[in-house]
Amino acid sequence: MDSSIIALIVLSLFLGCGCWLIFIWAVKKGEFDDVERPKHRMLDDDDSR
Amino acid sequence: MENSATCFHCNAEILPGQLVTGSRGGESLDFCCRGCLGAWLLITGAGLGDFYRRREWLEPGICADAYQGEYHDSFLSRYVYAKGESSAIDILIEGIRCATCVWLNEKIIGQLPGVSAVRVNYATNRARVLFDPGTVSPSTIFTRIAELGYVPRPYTSSAAEERSHRERKDLLVRFGTAFFLTMQLMAYSFALYAGYFQGIGPDMKLTMQLFSLLVTTPVVFYAGAPFLRGGWRGIVNRAPNMDLLIAIGALSSYGYSIYATLTGGEVYFETAAMIVTLILAGRLLENSAKQRAAAGVERLLGLTAGEAKRVTGGGVESVAVADVRAGDLLLVGPGERFLVDGRIAEGTTDVDESPATGESLPVVKNDGDRVIAGSINLTCAVRIVCEHPASDSFVARVARLVEEAQSRRAPIQGVADRAAAFFVPAVLFLSAATFSWQYALHVETGSALMTALAVVVIACPCALGLATPMAILAGTGAAAVSGVIFKGGDILERLSRVTVAVFDKTGTVTRGEPAVVAIDPAPGFAVRELAAMAAAVECAAQHPLARAVRDYALMNGIVPAVGDDLRTVPGGGVLGLHEGKMVAVGNPRFLARLGVEGLPAEIDVPAGGTVACIACSGRYAGAIVFRDRLRDDAPAVIAHFRERHIRCILLSGDSRETVRFIAGSLGIGEWEGEMTPEEKTAFVERLRTKGETILMVGDGINDAPALSAADVGCAIAGGTDIALETSDLILARPDLARLAFAHATARRTMAVIRQNLGWAFIYNIVGIPLAMTGRLTPVYAAAAMALSSLCVAGNSLRLTGTKHG
Repeated sequence: MDSSIIALIVLSLFLGCGCWLIFIWAVKKGEFDDVERPKHRMLDDDDSR
Repeated sequence: MENSATCFHCNAEILPGQLVTGSRGGESLDFCCRGCLGAWLLITGAGLGDFYRRREWLEPGICADAYQGEYHDSFLSRYVYAKGESSAIDILIEGIRCATCVWLNEKIIGQLPGVSAVRVNYATNRARVLFDPGTVSPSTIFTRIAELGYVPRPYTSSAAEERSHRERKDLLVRFGTAFFLTMQLMAYSFALYAGYFQGIGPDMKLTMQLFSLLVTTPVVFYAGAPFLRGGWRGIVNRAPNMDLLIAIGALSSYGYSIYATLTGGEVYFETAAMIVTLILAGRLLENSAKQRAAAGVERLLGLTAGEAKRVTGGGVESVAVADVRAGDLLLVGPGERFLVDGRIAEGTTDVDESPATGESLPVVKNDGDRVIAGSINLTCAVRIVCEHPASDSFVARVARLVEEAQSRRAPIQGVADRAAAFFVPAVLFLSAATFSWQYALHVETGSALMTALAVVVIACPCALGLATPMAILAGTGAAAVSGVIFKGGDILERLSRVTVAVFDKTGTVTRGEPAVVAIDPAPGFAVRELAAMAAAVECAAQHPLARAVRDYALMNGIVPAVGDDLRTVPGGGVLGLHEGKMVAVGNPRFLARLGVEGLPAEIDVPAGGTVACIACSGRYAGAIVFRDRLRDDAPAVIAHFRERHIRCILLSGDSRETVRFIAGSLGIGEWEGEMTPEEKTAFVERLRTKGETILMVGDGINDAPALSAADVGCAIAGGTDIALETSDLILARPDLARLAFAHATARRTMAVIRQNLGWAFIYNIVGIPLAMTGRLTPVYAAAAMALSSLCVAGNSLRLTGTKHG
């Protein structure tokens, strides 16, 4: 049982590292530079005519 | 119609006489000016009428310089750079207030043929436009933005800004990493907590502790690296600071836990990780408050690098100011700013020197007279010979004075650092005392050392790291909503301790522009008739007195007719035809020179005022009295400071008479007139050496050195760039009442910071005895930490509710 827990912990660490890498990539790409506008942007492109 | 008194586009009140109506598709709407009507036509024409339903504008009106800019490709092309296949330009758009404004700009610019992509950053108000230079020119893009009622400015990011941007990204990565690893750590810690209460096998416990060690190490040594470095600097400089306290806390709990892991004790890994994570969160909050302030300032700054028109043999060419050499002949049109110091070579004009000298009325300049960089040419185009290159102009000299004043200003230690300076030695002493006490009780050395370390661990609360940034973020946030921009957290602290408030006169406590206070008609003329007459001949003049006459006419519902055959005589007045009659408006000497009949021998000028006379068909028709009026809210602000026993002083470069009059009407006892920028700075510094904390409020170039010499320099929007740049605190609307609000906010924020620090320390006071007696368990430590952090966060949020007005 112990070994399965350890395996799960290691697995979770790997998954977490994947998410962390995505986060680093997002910061580098400037995704967090403007956090105000995107939440409104999705409402805009409703074909404004 | 219920909203008949406000402009449909900008929501500003429509003065009688300004009204413009527009109609399209059966609706008829009211506007305050042609510019707003044009913007409305453009917006609805593009099918974006939705804008008016969706926007959230809290304050009416639009930027003062809207609809006025002229944009030249020769100037803008310097800011264009290649990006992939097309060209790109970065534009700072002034006047963006809500997400809908961003949407509108993106849509309208995007509809221009040749524009391939537009992205507007809402946080910084910057737009990046990609376009095909063959189809569309940058000036077309700029003109389109200006037509909407926004003010576009070309923009290049400075090195300092790039650096702060990189710093922010670095901080974000560190925080993200710390946060992610701390979350992992919490899972292991909960297993350990459960094991603490229910029992856990020693193997499992060791496994969990080793995993904890694995995830905590990068948190302490990578994410926490800035604190370790800062703490080390604190030791080297022998000035214990916050960073040192944090470093000691994190390192001691980390070291303790490694030892406990090896010997089978209870670990404090989550304390080490939480301290770093929470304090990084605090730093991130502080950084975003600072960034918002920086963006606010940038929005208020005008074009710093203008372009000059150089007269050459073949004609006029435009050159960057930096390229102007001494001896160059420059053409300066009416309404333009002199960009360099020089002498007039040809022409006569009125010059508004108030930004440079504080003198409220324009000065006449003839051939050979000196003009100062930063002052504004009002009436006629002149040619000037440049005397010094721009790098040595009056403005540049003032900028050097500013730098000197700033370098003399000692950096101040924040309240948290002051608390740490006292706290670090106290903690180390307590810890040493614990060790000797335990040792005296014949406890084993290793265990006594552990107890002593536990004291250090519990004494370095996470809440301490959040105490200041949370309160500052909440305080500056509430202030920013009300149009008060603090350039940093320490400004709040200094402002709260101010003992002397020094005010500049022109443009600060007064409006800086004269207004009509009375019209005194000669027999046979009516007040309205005179106003209409004067407004008609003054309709095109740039002179502040002419503007005052026009405003007076508009306020009283007189639609100004446009006079014919208008002529401006610099230093005299204006002449023109109104309804077929020759009308002259100007100073008495000017009218006498024209040979006007019936001119009274003596016209009494009220204190601090100016008089212009009107003549109609060669006969004296009456006089208009002008005065630079106090801002409506100036007395209330003075009263606010008085009530709090803060000395108020009035300083000005204007004549002593005028200053005395204004000081008298405000009830300020201490005042000085005819002061140069150097004298103002010396005055402020003299007060500082007497141990006073000084708030300086000003707006002109001549105030800039004094603004930076003072503990807190406050500039008002609409002031000169250099004043805005050198000040610490900016009122984003020309409304002095906000200064009292800023002061109150600063005091409230400081009170909250003190409460926060108090809270953090109370938890220590409870925790330290537990740690000293060796009864502290990680569960208690974690609970105390969470509770104190929550208290601090909750207490700080109280500040966000405060609004101005």
